[in-house]
Amino acid sequence: MQISLNSKQVLTEEARGSRGVAVEVKDVSIAYGGRTVLEHLSLEIAAGEFVAIVGRSGCGKSTLLRSIAGLEVPQTGRITFGRAATSSGKPDVRVMFQDSRLLPWKRILPNVMLGLEPSLIPQAGRVLTQVGLADRAHDWPATLSGGQRQRVALARALVHDPNLLLLDEPLGSLDALTRIEMQELIEDVWRSRGFTALLVTHDVAEAITLADRVVLIEEGRVALDEVMHLPRPRTRGSARFAALEERILGRVLQRRSALRDPW
Amino acid sequence: MSQSQPNSAKQSQLRPRTIVREGLAWVVPIALLLAWQWASSAGVLSHRILPAPRDVLSAFVTLSASGELWTHVRVSTLRALSGFAVGGGLGLALGLLTGSLRWAETLLDTTLQMVRNIPPLALIPLVILWFGIDETAKLFLVSLGVFFPIYINTYHGIRSVDRGLLEMGKSYGLSGWPLYREIILPGALPSILVGVRFSLGFMWVILIVAETISARSGIGYMTMNAREFMQTDVMLVGVLMYALLGKLADLLAKGLERYWLRWNPAYQAAH
Repeated sequence: MQISLNSKQVLTEEARGSRGVAVEVKDVSIAYGGRTVLEHLSLEIAAGEFVAIVGRSGCGKSTLLRSIAGLEVPQTGRITFGRAATSSGKPDVRVMFQDSRLLPWKRILPNVMLGLEPSLIPQAGRVLTQVGLADRAHDWPATLSGGQRQRVALARALVHDPNLLLLDEPLGSLDALTRIEMQELIEDVWRSRGFTALLVTHDVAEAITLADRVVLIEEGRVALDEVMHLPRPRTRGSARFAALEERILGRVLQRRSALRDPW
Repeated sequence: MSQSQPNSAKQSQLRPRTIVREGLAWVVPIALLLAWQWASSAGVLSHRILPAPRDVLSAFVTLSASGELWTHVRVSTLRALSGFAVGGGLGLALGLLTGSLRWAETLLDTTLQMVRNIPPLALIPLVILWFGIDETAKLFLVSLGVFFPIYINTYHGIRSVDRGLLEMGKSYGLSGWPLYREIILPGALPSILVGVRFSLGFMWVILIVAETISARSGIGYMTMNAREFMQTDVMLVGVLMYALLGKLADLLAKGLERYWLRWNPAYQAAH
C-alpha cells in the first residue's frame, strides 16, 4: 500500500515519463538449489521514475533486476509492464552491467550499433557525442579506460531510446572521481529522456544522489521504501543529504548489529 | 605536440634494437651453414652422407630451371591444401555443431574423441588397401590429420565464449545467426586459429609420410626417387622444400591471426 501511494505522489509531483514505462513486480519468488533469493517480493515503479535498490551483497537485489530484464525466470509471481510508447506497445528494456560487456572484436561505434540497422549510424554517433566519446568511435575497446568503457555501454543502451533502463551496479568498479562524473551523466540523460530507471547499487550515497525512491532489500524482501524529497541536482555536502544517508545506512547495518548483540 | 615528442624519441631508440634482435635470430643458422660448407670442403663430411651447401644449391638451380621441382612442389601443395580444405572444413563444421548444440555433442563427441586417439599414420596399411596408392589415399590421410586439431579447438572455442557477452547479446535482441555472427564466432576465433596453426604443421608431416610411402609425383616422390640414385643433393633439396613450405604455411596462419585478432592487444603487430 505504502509503495503505490509513494510512487503516485512522485508521478503527480513531476509530470514526467513520456518515454518511461511503469513496472509492476508482484509476489515474485526465486530460489537457487533450495536457497531462497527473492521471497514473495512486490514492487511498483511508476513511468519515468528513478528507483535505486540498495542492500547487502547477496540480498537478492541483482536477481530482482535480472528478473525484470528477463534474464531470470521467477518461480512464482509475475512482472508486468505498462503500455510503452513504442510501435508494438512492448517496452524496450536495456541493461547496463557492472562490467561493460563490450565486444572486444568490434570498434566502439559498431559496439554501440549492436543489433541496429546500418542506417542508424548518425544516431549512434550522436549518442557517442552525448557521452563524450565521439573521437574514440574507431578505436578498439581494449584501448579505453574502465570509465570510458562504461560510457560506451551507456551509449549502447541509450541508442535504442529505452523505456526502461536497468543499471546493475554499473559504477561499482570505477574510481571515485569517474564515478561522480558518471552519476552526473546518468542523471542528465535520465532527465532529458524521461525513461524509467532502476539502479542496483551497494552505495547508499549514490542511491540518494540519483533516485526518486530508495528501496532496501533484505533477505529477499523489501525492508524499506522511501521517497527522496531532495531537490536536484543533489549535493552530498548538504545537511539533509547527510541525515538521509546516515538514516538509510543505519537501517542497512541494523540487522548486523542485532546479530552482534545476543540480548 | 609536447606529448608526441618523447614517443617518437622512444621509437627511434627501439628501432636499432629490433634490427639487432632480428639479426641475432639468423646468427646460428648462418654459422651452421658455414660450418657445414667448411666440413664438406675439408673432406670431413662425405658427399654420400651430406653434400656441401653449394652442391645443394646447384641441384636446386638445375631442378628449378628444368621446372621439375616446381611441378613436384605444385602437386604437393595442391594435395596439402585440398586435404586441409576437406579435413579442416569438416572439423570446423562438426566443431561448430557439437560446440553449439547439446544434442550434437551427446551424439558425436564420444565417438570423435575415440577416433581421435588413433594416429592417422597407423591407418596407412588400411588406407592403401582401401584406396590403393592414389590421390584419394593421400587426401584421406591429410584430411584425417588436420581434422582433429581444428575440431577440438573449434569445439573448445565455442564452449568458452564469454557467458556475459552472450547474455548481453541476447538482451540486445540478438539470436540465431546474428548472435552467431556477432558474438559466438568472433569469440571462438582465437581458439579456432590455434587449431589452424596446429593442423598446418600436421598437414605437412602427414603428407611427407604419405608421399614417401607411395607416390608418382610430389616432393616426397622426388626425394625417394633421388635415394634410388644416391642423389643426396636432390634429397636435401626436397627436405629443404618441406621446411620452406611449412614455414610459409605458418607465416600465413600468423598473418591471419594478426588480421582477424587485431582487436586483441596480445596479437597486435609490434611496430
